Amino acid sequence: MLELSRRQLLRSAAAVSALALVPVTSLLAQADDKGVHTILNELIKKYSDEAKASMSNEEVAALFEKDGFRDYLDVYPVGDLAGGFVWKPGMGATFTGPHSKLEIKSPFTDYLPLPEGPVLDPDKKYRIGLVFHGFNHPWLISLADTASWEAARHPNIELEVIDAEFDDNKMGQVIDTWIAKQYDGIVLWPSREAPMGPPVDRAIAAGIPTVSLDRRTSSEVISSEVLGNFYANGLQQGLYLKHAAPDGNIIFNRKDLGSTADSIRTGAFLEVIGNTPGYKVLANYHTNSQRTLAFKSTADALQAFKDISVSFNTGGEEAMGALDAIREANRLNSAPGGKKIMILANDDAREVLKEIRAGNIDMVSPYTPLIGDIGIRAVVMHIGAKEGKNEAPPKLIMTPNLPMITREKMNIEGIETLTPDEWPYAYGPEASG
Amino acid sequence: MTTMEDKVADRGAPSRTFDMVRQAGSGDLSRLAVLVVLVVLGQIITPAFLSLGNVHVILMAVAAIGIMAYGMTLVVITGEIDLSVAGIAILSCVVGGLLIPTGSAVLVIGATLATGLLVGLLNGVLVAAIGIPSLIATLGMLGISRALANIASGGQALYPEPIAAYLWLGRGAVAGVPVPVLLLAILGVAAILLTRYSTFGRALYATGGNVRAAALSGINTVAVRTVVFMISGVCAALAGILECARLSYINPAGLEGMELSVLAVTVLGGAALAGGSGSITGTLVAAVIIGIVNNLLNQMGVSIYLQQVVTAAVILAVVLPGMWRRGIVK
Repeated sequence: MLELSRRQLLRSAAAVSALALVPVTSLLAQADDKGVHTILNELIKKYSDEAKASMSNEEVAALFEKDGFRDYLDVYPVGDLAGGFVWKPGMGATFTGPHSKLEIKSPFTDYLPLPEGPVLDPDKKYRIGLVFHGFNHPWLISLADTASWEAARHPNIELEVIDAEFDDNKMGQVIDTWIAKQYDGIVLWPSREAPMGPPVDRAIAAGIPTVSLDRRTSSEVISSEVLGNFYANGLQQGLYLKHAAPDGNIIFNRKDLGSTADSIRTGAFLEVIGNTPGYKVLANYHTNSQRTLAFKSTADALQAFKDISVSFNTGGEEAMGALDAIREANRLNSAPGGKKIMILANDDAREVLKEIRAGNIDMVSPYTPLIGDIGIRAVVMHIGAKEGKNEAPPKLIMTPNLPMITREKMNIEGIETLTPDEWPYAYGPEASG
Repeated sequence: MTTMEDKVADRGAPSRTFDMVRQAGSGDLSRLAVLVVLVVLGQIITPAFLSLGNVHVILMAVAAIGIMAYGMTLVVITGEIDLSVAGIAILSCVVGGLLIPTGSAVLVIGATLATGLLVGLLNGVLVAAIGIPSLIATLGMLGISRALANIASGGQALYPEPIAAYLWLGRGAVAGVPVPVLLLAILGVAAILLTRYSTFGRALYATGGNVRAAALSGINTVAVRTVVFMISGVCAALAGILECARLSYINPAGLEGMELSVLAVTVLGGAALAGGSGSITGTLVAAVIIGIVNNLLNQMGVSIYLQQVVTAAVILAVVLPGMWRRGIVK
């Protein structure tokens, strides 16, 4: 009760306080007892159940059926956080990314925490390998940043980071090399599920704890999987749309057909809007995470349809491409009734937040790459369990669902949105201008 | 040692060269016919197809790839290939992008174009002077360029927003004509003049037709091939600027696979990979054909995967009859 009063007081204060105070007050206000993770999981269940019962919007239902979203959604894990952790906005450590050299505020450094200093046996050197793809991609560099940061906090951890350059065979060979060298632990960011199963199985058979980050492998014996929150992403895009407009003509810029990010995010979005009759699917493109393709598809769609009101984008790259095309065509305010075309995005890159601030992109569901540290801590705990020093962490380590970011603060079905200024966790370089 | 056949070939070389130049555009009529059919089809399928807005979208979409393909066409006419164009474009833009903090448009754009020229020169030296097959040399250069772009940028995107002149190249207009389209047209005219009406142009066809005969007839084939790689490098860099300026975003991992699209446009334009034939008008028409096909398919909501199939089918449909006529395929 006391806490509630304090929140109310802070909310009232926010209305009259200086702008500088807004982030602090908002972060505290978000600190619901349940935590945003639980609220979003409840909404996921609610809309999933409703969509399973029926989907009255025939166009949405047809798209949902055509691409087989149900198959993907039903097997995507949705669950509680490990150890009863409750994440609240504002949590986490700030540091300079060892690889990107960018300032980073990492949200989950308090999740499955390890105190700074030597881990496990202080006299022993623990060799851990991190293999991922993409020292050419800001999202993935940030992932490596957090893993390297965590490793550097522990003087007896020696972390080797290898970029497999989107070559599954190379990733497999790297893992085999570490098996041969008898590394103590392996963390990987697999690009695709199936090819990485056998190498992981070999590592586990060799007694090396192995943890995957963000994406899954086909291994059933992997030590732990640190999973992202794709479901909450698509769900919130749908919630925002429902909240902002009861109807609309939508064009889709989606990632590769069959990719987890596309299947879960787009599927969750369709689940939310599937029982609202006012939404119409105008066009559906797979632009495969390429901004240029999203730009071209949107540019062409703008010529084909004069009544586009919503641009749904599975990722930030797509959203930026769509926005550029809409701007070039001078069509930002060309939705029916002279309204602005609503642009829905995922991935909290700094450049996307800049466009939210400017009012060009309407919302973004964060999908943070800043989870490499969790992988390092999890693998260390597995090594500790093997040495009888602690209990093993759970096999499924869910990362906290994160609230959507909007230009102005909103409360949408119990989710208190954050503004760009309240979101310190964005990744990638600062977009100039 | 020069054989009698060589001497005969040498004597015939100049007239054959002129024939090749004259005939270079002969296949363009069939491509123009395809273009006309597509335009008519487009107008039937989507009534706004010929609207100013849609024409603008199509031409803007093909400007960069068209300019890159001009350079590639010159290279292919000489019997070589340049698979490094997308890598050169990205590396050049990253090198220029690193100078954005200076605020100098001259430095940023100049460094971008100079990098393209330099990498093109390197390609030319590797191929023409050292004798490494262009397929291997430029494939290697593609990998090197992309890797260097990543190393130089730290894998992070660069934003040219503060450089107004840079953005103007991708977004500006002169008398209502978008700058990229204007550049496509100006460079197209320049390349047509170069290939059809200059000594250098005749040297290109002669080198591609028979490099030995060309050399024996006094053409400096090393210089010719080096220069076309340099032109291709500059075209790639300029095309990179247009793409990056349009999106105000220099992505070191961008333009992935664009070299194959450029090659497809070049081949569709009538350039034979064996060398000695090809035309800039054919390349331009081919670029527009691809642009129209993609535009129409997008407007019809056809998936990108099916679009790739349709685009490949269009290329085959246009190229195969010509090859059949020339006896290349049975």
